[in-house]
Amino acid sequence: MLEVIDLHSRYGRAHILQGVFFAAAAGEVLVLLGRNGAGKSTTLKSIIGLVRPSAGRVVFDGVDVAGWEPYRIARAGLGYVPEDRRIFSDLTVAENLLVGRQKARFGLAPWTEARLFALFPNLADLYRRPAGQMSGGEQQMLTIARTLMGNPRCILLDEPSEGLAPVIAEQMAHAILALKAEGVTVVLAEQNLHFAARVADRAAVIETGRTIWSGAMAALREDAALRAAHLHL
Amino acid sequence: MDAFLIQLLTGLAGASSLFLVAAGLTVIFGVTRVVNFSHGSLFMLGAFIAWSVLTRLPREPGWHVAGVLIAALATAGIGALLEMGLLRRIYRAPELLQLLATFGVVLMVQDLALLIWGPNDLSLPRPPWLRGFVRIAEQQFPLYDLILIGIAPLMLVALWLLFTHTRWGTLVRAATQDRDMLAALGVDQRLLFTSVFALGAGLAGLGGALALPDGSANLQMDMSVITDAFVVVVVGGMGSLPGAYLAALLIALLQTFGIVLLPKATLVLMFVVMASVLVVRPHGLLGRAQVPTRGEAHAYALIRPATPALRTLGAAALALALAAPLLVGPFWLSVLTEALIAMLFAASLHAMMGPGGMISFGHAAWFGIGAYAAALAARGLAVPMPVGLLLGPLLAGVVALAFGWFVVRLSGIYLAMLTLAFAQIVWAVVFQSDITGGDNGVLGVWPDAWARDPRVFYLVALVLCVGGTLALRRVLFSPFGYALRAARDAPERAEAIGLFPTGLRMAAFCLAGTAAGLAGAVGAYSKGSVFPSTISIGRSVDALLMVLLGGVQTMAGPVVGALAYTGLYDVLIRATDLWRLVLGAAIVALVLAFPQGIAGAASRVVRDDAA
Repeated sequence: MLEVIDLHSRYGRAHILQGVFFAAAAGEVLVLLGRNGAGKSTTLKSIIGLVRPSAGRVVFDGVDVAGWEPYRIARAGLGYVPEDRRIFSDLTVAENLLVGRQKARFGLAPWTEARLFALFPNLADLYRRPAGQMSGGEQQMLTIARTLMGNPRCILLDEPSEGLAPVIAEQMAHAILALKAEGVTVVLAEQNLHFAARVADRAAVIETGRTIWSGAMAALREDAALRAAHLHL
Repeated sequence: MDAFLIQLLTGLAGASSLFLVAAGLTVIFGVTRVVNFSHGSLFMLGAFIAWSVLTRLPREPGWHVAGVLIAALATAGIGALLEMGLLRRIYRAPELLQLLATFGVVLMVQDLALLIWGPNDLSLPRPPWLRGFVRIAEQQFPLYDLILIGIAPLMLVALWLLFTHTRWGTLVRAATQDRDMLAALGVDQRLLFTSVFALGAGLAGLGGALALPDGSANLQMDMSVITDAFVVVVVGGMGSLPGAYLAALLIALLQTFGIVLLPKATLVLMFVVMASVLVVRPHGLLGRAQVPTRGEAHAYALIRPATPALRTLGAAALALALAAPLLVGPFWLSVLTEALIAMLFAASLHAMMGPGGMISFGHAAWFGIGAYAAALAARGLAVPMPVGLLLGPLLAGVVALAFGWFVVRLSGIYLAMLTLAFAQIVWAVVFQSDITGGDNGVLGVWPDAWARDPRVFYLVALVLCVGGTLALRRVLFSPFGYALRAARDAPERAEAIGLFPTGLRMAAFCLAGTAAGLAGAVGAYSKGSVFPSTISIGRSVDALLMVLLGGVQTMAGPVVGALAYTGLYDVLIRATDLWRLVLGAAIVALVLAFPQGIAGAASRVVRDDAA
């Protein structure tokens, strides 16, 4: 579904990504693990096109989308949920969802507000509330719901568990597994190994802008030596 | 019907078309963050197109409405073309460059309108129904004024519905907050921006077409309307439509009643009101603090010391300038003197704009105060020239200190508009005061006998202007300059390490005023006379053009920009009647080719070669 091949990105002269590889099969959850500053967020931004990759390929459903405008990549069926939420704080919850809406095209059941509220019950009560007046956890749910309104086939989540209370993080894990059950491919960036282990099928470990290991999440979970070698957490 | 009521209706009717223009301006700014200087030109085009259409249609009410709509749509189309052809290419450029580009458009439209519609005011013959009256409560009310008065609130409601109750409007509001996120959600911003620009242009065109029956289509309306519209938008609060409506009412009533009650003070009244509003409410009546739109380029490029190659070039240019009296005659010496004065003037504006981060739309004020101080000292007090040259910058600096106290508390476009307001106040005082000679200006300001030889005066100007420019440069690379840039980039953090941003900005503002005052004083002796036009908006715009042309974030920028602009201007005005068209097109072409300014682009090439 989504294959990233030797991806390189730069901010000015800083060479941030120096060869990221991974492949997520349709309907699976893949986690990018790595420490702060390893290049996880930049990888996701490079995939969606907010950072223009300087080299490498981003093959989405058989098409290389590297270098496309972000809106075209999004319309091709890639959803992106940024780490800092970036909700439209002057708009209500309803309006935020309206902004995200795109036609359903890929044979997945189209997302409706009703289905999203089933997934994130808190949002239903906040429907007319300006998004800027919601709590961090509620904003995080809104930003995922907003992206889902675009009916993506594959969704990129940047640290969805960051800064969330344990109860809310558990809701988030539940939501990610529900997405998987719907047939949506999920690629998430995480630092929280525990959260990653709860949701992911496979993992890719990134360090200083390179993929240094990839394989089944189970292997990483069960092998302490492997974790010590690649994650230093 | 009593005079008061008639004035009231005229004022309210004028407010309607002012509101439409201001609404367009504020909508465009809200989404694209482009300060569209050419908005007045769009208004003017709306009026001219309406004249062309309406004079060809039957003069029935239905046809009139159709004609007005055609004019508005045509202007919207022109706006869309403008956005696609020009602005779309420079959204990522520094916002000031967009201002420069739209100013290039203003110049082009002036000459194009002159070519198409000719130099005369075109008024619309008013058919009986347009001259009709309505009887309400024993009073006769002019029908057309009533219609106009009704249109503004209707449009306000329509726009409000458009922005709150349609998906397009919701997308537009989202775009004012975070463009990149919007793109990542699959929204094609180009379409959105083009349509927003077309809407804004259409509103300006509608305003122009509606104002036509009460006045005329003429070539002066672009600048007068853009000034009024900026004032309205700023007083109401950038991005606030109800604020724009309130402010349009306020300004229009002020103008109509001002003419009756205080004929001498009308010019200044509007700006006094704007200044008072901004001092009390820094974001306008209904505006909110302006947050930078995410996904917009707002990082300042680093200002670095000149490369060795540039230093060599500068030294060579200076040597050549020193040798000039031996090489060229008096005419070219006077041209060169003007260029030197322009250079210091531009460098002084650059000092507050670049490192200080404060854009000024009224920099001519300081130049003018310096010029008038020197001229009046020379004529009235008969002081020797060196004293006059000292008094000019001194007085400019002192006044800048007083105005600066208000100005540095604001930021962005509000700050720029307050500088414009102050400049207009200075202009009005000079224009209407007897001491300054009013419209006649001050004549016969000649250098002392020892400096009357053009070659000697040229060298005096050279020493003062180059010296002043180098002194500014020195200051900006001193610890004060670094602190100033720190305060510009991160005021809170600067404060946390013990800097005092307001004081730093104040000092920069005062410094810029003093340097501009010096340029003005030299200019007074060079020209031998000073007129109120020294402080006109056009003069402030000249300074902006010079700085922007050269590039804001390079020290060489204002120097290159001033020389390029005065050179271009001198050559063009001699070569062609259509100099505005050519100059405007040249500005637009330069912006498209060098989004970082001429000197910015050149230094980039040099540095990349070195890297």
